[in-house]
Formats: sequence, C-alpha cells, structure tokens
Amino acid sequence: MKRKPSCFALPIAFAAMLAGSSALAQSVDTARIEAGGQNDWLTYHGSYNSYHYSPLAQINTSNVGNLSVAWIHIPGRSTRGLQSMPLVADGVLYYTGSYSRVFALNGATGEVIWSYFPELDEALIARQTHSPYNRGVAIGDGKVYVGTMDGRLIALDMKSGKVMWDTKLIDSQKLTVGFTGAPLFAKGTVIIGAQGGEWPGRGPIFAVDAATGQKKWEFLTVAGTDDAMKSWGNDSWRTGGGGGWMPGTYDSETNTILWGTANPAPLYDWSGADYKTQGARPGDNLYTSSVIGLDIDTGKLKFYHQELPHDAWDFDSAVGEFVMLDRDGQKYVVHPNKSGYIFVYDRNLGVKNVWRITQNSNFVKNIDPKTGELIGRRDFSAGKVSEPLCPHISGGVSWNAGSYDPKTGLYYKLGQEWCMTLEVMKTTPIVAPQAQLNIGADFKIAPPPGGEIYGHLDARDPITGAKKWEVRFPEPPLGSVLSTGGNLVFVPDSRGILHAYDAESGTELWNHSDGTGHQGGIVSYAVNGKQYIAVVAGFGGMASDDYAPTFGGVYKSMPRDDGALVVYSLK
Amino acid sequence: MIKLTPGLLLSMLLAVSLSAAMPARAQSANATPDNAQLDVHQLFATTCGWCHSDGGRAAGKGPQLMNTQRSDDFIRNRIKNGKEGAMPAFGAVFNDAQIDEIIKYIRDLKPHEG
Repeated sequence: MKRKPSCFALPIAFAAMLAGSSALAQSVDTARIEAGGQNDWLTYHGSYNSYHYSPLAQINTSNVGNLSVAWIHIPGRSTRGLQSMPLVADGVLYYTGSYSRVFALNGATGEVIWSYFPELDEALIARQTHSPYNRGVAIGDGKVYVGTMDGRLIALDMKSGKVMWDTKLIDSQKLTVGFTGAPLFAKGTVIIGAQGGEWPGRGPIFAVDAATGQKKWEFLTVAGTDDAMKSWGNDSWRTGGGGGWMPGTYDSETNTILWGTANPAPLYDWSGADYKTQGARPGDNLYTSSVIGLDIDTGKLKFYHQELPHDAWDFDSAVGEFVMLDRDGQKYVVHPNKSGYIFVYDRNLGVKNVWRITQNSNFVKNIDPKTGELIGRRDFSAGKVSEPLCPHISGGVSWNAGSYDPKTGLYYKLGQEWCMTLEVMKTTPIVAPQAQLNIGADFKIAPPPGGEIYGHLDARDPITGAKKWEVRFPEPPLGSVLSTGGNLVFVPDSRGILHAYDAESGTELWNHSDGTGHQGGIVSYAVNGKQYIAVVAGFGGMASDDYAPTFGGVYKSMPRDDGALVVYSLK
Repeated sequence: MIKLTPGLLLSMLLAVSLSAAMPARAQSANATPDNAQLDVHQLFATTCGWCHSDGGRAAGKGPQLMNTQRSDDFIRNRIKNGKEGAMPAFGAVFNDAQIDEIIKYIRDLKPHEG
C-alpha cells in the first residue's frame, strides 16, 4: 500500500519551531513512541514494533543517485569505533560515542546543541574486554538515558544535557561488566540489560523509574526463578553468565517487556551428549539464550521460550530485534537468534515457525519449525573438535538489526558465513581477585567447508523465510539495515561503503564511502520538510577485530579508534 | 556510596564462598598467591583465547603470540597495563611470578602436531 509523501509538508510556523529550538519540542512519551512518528526515530529499533523502517519517501528509487553528504559530526575518542543508533525527535538528533559520550545535534545542520561526557572509572574500563563502546540512548518524558561501562544508568535533561539522575546498578569492580547496550524507555520506565554471557555472574536486566532514577526491579537471567534454578546442576547458576545486552521491546497490549537473553558460561562445555547431567553446567540453563516476556511494572516472568537449551555455542538470544507484525489476522513476533535461526512466535512467545538465514550451519542438524526443538545438536567433549563448527562465534547473525518494510512485506537481514576450529578444555570459573571470561576452548576462525567467508543481505518473507533476493558481500557487513518508504534498503558495509538497494529487486542504486568501516546504526528522519539518512561509521568492535588478520586489504590500515556520524540528504 | 542491596550482598557472599571452595590456583583473594603453578594452557582456554586465537598460535582479535619478536619486558608491560581499546590490564590479577609463567608459555608455543 503506497503512502502519500505528505509527512514533510509542514506548516511554516511548525517548521520554524523545529529549526533547532528544542525548548519548544513536544514531549516524547510512550504513546508517541508507539505511534512511530513520521519525521522522528524515537527509540533504538525505530518504534516498539522494531521495524528499523522510516515511512519517509522524499529520498526514493528515482532520486537516490543525488544523495550526498549534508553534514558530519566527529565525537572524538572513538575507541573501538562507533556502534550507536542515533535517535531523532523534533529535529534534534541524539547519539553516543565511546565512553558514553552523548551529543544533541541540530538534525538539519549538525550544530552541537549540547554534549555530555560522563566521568567514568577509567581504571575499571582498562580492565574490561567488551568495552568502551556504546550502542545508544533512549529518550522519553523529557530526558535522555544512557548506560555506562562502569555499571550506571544516567538521565540527562533533553533540552540542556544537565544530569537529572545517575544511578549505579552494577558493582562492576569485581565482575568487570557494565552496560554497552542502549536502554529502552516505555511507560515511565527505563530498562537496560547487563553484559554477562562470558562472565561468572547472573546477568541482570534492570528497570528504573524514569522520573526518579530509583530501581524498580531486577530480573536475573540466570536462574531468576525457583524453577529455573533446577536447570543448573552443581550450583553452576552461581557463575552462570547470562545477561541481556541489547534492547528488546515493549508490547503495550499485554504490558510486557520482550527481551533476549545472553549465553551461559562457560561458552563451550565438555559435557558430551549428556549435557543434562554432565559437564560444567548440567541442565538447560534457564533463562540463558532465551526470549523472555516480563511484566513491565513488576519484572515478573510471564512467558518465555528458550531458543537454545544448554547453549553450547555462544549463540545468544540477546542479539535480536523483536519484529512485531500482523499477517492474515495473526499477530507475530519475529526474533533472530545469533545462530542464524530466525524464530517466529505469537505474542506470548509460542513457537509458530523457525527458519534459517545462514547457509553454513552445523551446530544442530535443524530446529523443528513447529516446536523449536533442537535436532541433532553437537555437544562437545574435552579435546580437539574434529569437524569445524559453523557458524563462527561471531554468529550466523550479529546484534546489528535487520529491517522490516511494511510496504514490501519483506525482512531485510544480514547473514554471516564463517566457521571455527576449536579445542574444548575443562575450565574453572575465575572470580577472584577479579572475574575473568570463561570461554572453555581455544578457537580460531575458519572458512566454511569448501568455500570462502562471506556475508549476505537477504530479502525474506519474515514468517516463512522464503527468499526473494540476496546480495553478497566479501566480508560480512556489521552495521544495521534501514528500509524506507522511498522503497530503498540501506546497508552500511564493513569496508566503509554505504549502499542503497531497490527494496523490491535488490538492485544497487547508489553507494558512497564513509571513510571507515561501519558497525553501528542507521536511521532516517526529517527536519523542515527535508529527509536525512544518518549513519555512524567507525570500526573496531568484537566481530570486526578478526577482519584485519582474516581478510587483510583495507582492514589492515583501518583505524580501530576513530569514527564519525555522517548525514546525507538530496542536493 | 555503594548501597548494600541484596544483589550486592549476594555477590559478596558468592565471592567469599567461591574463594573458599575453589582450587588454590584460581582462588587468590589477593594479587600475591601461594606457590601453586598457574596453568597457562587452561588460562588461555578460559580467558586469553578470546582474543589470542588457537591458544596464542594464530592472529585473531589479538596478535599471534607464537614466535613473537616482542621482548619479555614488552610482554610483561602489556599484560600489566593493557592497551586502550585493544587489551585489558591484568596488573591487578597476575603477579610477576605468574606473568613469568605466561611468558614462558608464549615462548614455548609451537604449531599443533600432525
């Protein structure tokens, strides 16, 4: 169904109001986030239905060839590159750099309205592994919310950047984990999940009162209920891992927070086939590698599906967006698991279908599309694993989001084809004097059997998985995907090129170099009737670390401590 | 000011109880341990291998350690102080004797047999 592009025909008075004066901006509240906003991008995933889609059509297939840089912003100190998803409300763009630097910029000109650099415990950060990058903010009820690597959630006044509250949620000194993910704002509550899968902790998800900064509840993804405790033999829940390090979403119809949880620790177990009674963490290890539904007011678990019982491969459920769509009168939730299996649920997380985007995959033979049961799983014993494991630890998909286009009905998602050799070893969780990662194996990246490593953008039916078209990349792109009402799909790739494809056919219509690889977000918004595409560039995160030694080429000289926000519009 | 929440209490109790229960080499509540040997082979499978692929034999997220031309002093300094955005600082975790063992493991690294 074509939408008339009337969204940007704004009355002159309103347009004047939008020209940089955030003081007159309307309030961003739950209802407004839910409505989606034609000109805005009000939450990490675009709106609560997580489409990563903009209805704007000023930039479209007929004129995208004229797309050029409108302005650039350089946040500075971009250690490990830029990974954040910008948000935009009423012509003001909010985004983060490393070390949780927060900026509010005039969306039309890039002029800095305010900036905030939190003082962090740098001695702690120096001891961290998955650090100091940041994936973005949440906005709502007049404030901007950001997590820090030293375990805090900070609220800033949206107009001035002044600190409204600063709540410490995690004592990171011993466990060394913090927050890299963007928070989620909904119903006067800010929700954020800790890192955790690789560490000997219990991976909490927190909810904080947006007005006061007081903690409302905490849900432990490792053995967070009495029932779940039973799924961890030998008290292994004490060092279980878990976490929920990317934002989920909010279903207002059921008052539910949907969230993906991270993997258990150690990542690789030595149990062999009898993982229920043997190995490092006997049992299914609830609620790791699961999708969970929590009551937003109380944090109580309402329902869940464990995508990978006893995950023995580090294939988190934390990575994936929760795409909420309706088809033929049925309500669905589509959620990609890091393995590359895409789960299709009803709104209570009952399995409706499972399909796979990854071509090279052997950690299981299959996942039963009707029940979600794992078929032919590969559980390892201590020692060298004879046949390479696919996909690689970086996943069949990663945390960069796919995009659902309600006009084409297609889900545009990046798949990754790479494998690994490994030697599993019995490890003991190290908790003192400081917690260490608990991996459980020596490993090395390897190409798929009989082929090369590559990445691919698929245009798929989100419910059935039927593929309409595919574009291949020599190295997997690590940025999020954006689709727009102009029938365009934007993919920022790892070499640094931003591509625009025809949403129906996959034909490449435009590309432009941003100067360095992408591993973050991309959004579209409008100010004063003009549409913009904003993308962060800056390489150096976890998955990208393997690129220089594996691929060479441009990655050998690519900085791992630099980045920029690049914003495009039509000439 | 750290608020003594139930979660924090639990973590503190956990650290104490696990210190008591764990084998000596992983225990050290302080940075100066007993004379027990550090199992560096296992340390790589637990922690270092995240970045130093294949037990340190291959370049991955971190550089290849096998046959490294770096001096002992360089390696020692790197382990203690890390490198911003690249390697964590382990100075509070390993003492000099333990770092010596890690260096020895690195110097002894050979390709896999067969």
